[in-house]
Amino acid sequence: MAEAPVITDPFTEAANRLKTLNKVMTTKAAIAQTPKELIWTLNKTKLYRYIPVLPKEKRHPVPLLLVFALMNRPYILDLRPGHSFVEYMVRNGYDLYLLDWGAPGPEDKHLKFDDYVLDYLPRAIRKLKATSEVEEFSLLGWCIGAILTTLYAALRPDDGLRNLILLTAPLDFSNKQGLTFSRWVDERYFDVEKMLATFGNMPGEMLDYGAKALKPVENYLGNYLKLWDNLDDPRVVDAWHAMNTWVTDNVPLAGGAFRQLIVDLYRNDKLMRGEFVVRGERVDLSRIRANLLTVIAEADHITPSCQSEPIMSKVRSKDKELFRIAGGHIGIMAGSGASKHTWPHIDGWLAPRSQ
Amino acid sequence: MGDEPSKDGKRFDPTEPWRGVRDVYLDAWAKAMVDMVNSEAYAQATGTMLDTYLSVSAPFREAIEKAMLKALEQLAMPSRADVVSIAERMTNIEMRLDDLDAKLDNIQRLVASSGAPPARTTTTAQVRKKAAKTKPAKRGKK
Repeated sequence: MAEAPVITDPFTEAANRLKTLNKVMTTKAAIAQTPKELIWTLNKTKLYRYIPVLPKEKRHPVPLLLVFALMNRPYILDLRPGHSFVEYMVRNGYDLYLLDWGAPGPEDKHLKFDDYVLDYLPRAIRKLKATSEVEEFSLLGWCIGAILTTLYAALRPDDGLRNLILLTAPLDFSNKQGLTFSRWVDERYFDVEKMLATFGNMPGEMLDYGAKALKPVENYLGNYLKLWDNLDDPRVVDAWHAMNTWVTDNVPLAGGAFRQLIVDLYRNDKLMRGEFVVRGERVDLSRIRANLLTVIAEADHITPSCQSEPIMSKVRSKDKELFRIAGGHIGIMAGSGASKHTWPHIDGWLAPRSQ
Repeated sequence: MGDEPSKDGKRFDPTEPWRGVRDVYLDAWAKAMVDMVNSEAYAQATGTMLDTYLSVSAPFREAIEKAMLKALEQLAMPSRADVVSIAERMTNIEMRLDDLDAKLDNIQRLVASSGAPPARTTTTAQVRKKAAKTKPAKRGKK
């Protein structure tokens, strides 16, 4: 017997749309659901290992550690089931780890890149090596995470780093005209010391405002109109809900690290000029010998390609590749096309180098 | 009827043409706004606003902090500085524990590589079981 057609009047339809809108605006989506275990903590930092789904003989022997930015939650890499980079990599046989920096408190306002790169990261890597019983590993750094992994790769090139993947890495700050952030944090307009004296850490909400203000109409209006236009499409609503959950979950940036980001990098471009010093050690990018994959998002308004390209000529890696892909800063890894383009490329590059 | 679904399953939407106009307008507006936030004038204006906010709010913030500190002292409660100090010490202890963990891992690896059998570990339950099996010594008789 044929089913009777569902008749909805315009009022019921409008009510349903409003219910959906209310739900996605006032609740948090279920995110980061790939099974994992906590294997190490230090202060707010946590190291997770994802539960493998393939037997050991079918897995790649070299583990991969994901390092995301300091001022956002790392679960963007594991946004929702069926649309998760983490889930994809685990299914493809990677022994996968994720470093979650956590949210710094007032007691962490002095934390600098020095601490993250020479205390937290090496300790987490030691635990990873002990857990997986390996000597070599791969690192994937995204955004500020790419700065941290680059610093680590240059300062500790003999610690077993075999492969380095940099996603939208802001490393070169020489093109002042091409970087909106550089203009905003110019010392004539922005007093970083006054800011840190007031707040200690850089508040997450202010960082969020800074990122959104680069494209104000899209972020403050277009984003919500897209949701309104697609309220009757569950796929779009679910994706929007998950992304909104992540976007609104802001994390402060430790004061010391924020000062270095603004003064040493945005204002003085010390890393590319070979003047960046971490606990007395000058960071020499030519010491990087790990296999290198640099991924650039062509429509990235936060980290334009001019910030990521120059590292290719600075490193000593014999095996290196620059991969350009259409998309934005976050979209290349969490957008609808990520599973068709970015993830397979990373897997295709990493798999033969993880044997 | 007007609200019946069309062949492609979509209901006729009278606002569709309006949306097209809206999107064209938004695109133009978005480009103009990107140019605006990229300008030197915008950087200067936002910098001035932020600086003014920080300067104006500083005396109020300091007054609140002082009052709060006194109130906490009167109530014999720890201040933020006290909590921060304890948290810093906790992190230092965690670092030392992590150092110990690293050393233990090294020892375990060395033992394993030397071919020696792994150290026997005894659980609390095993100790209790063993204790229960041993007869208690008789008191008062020698």
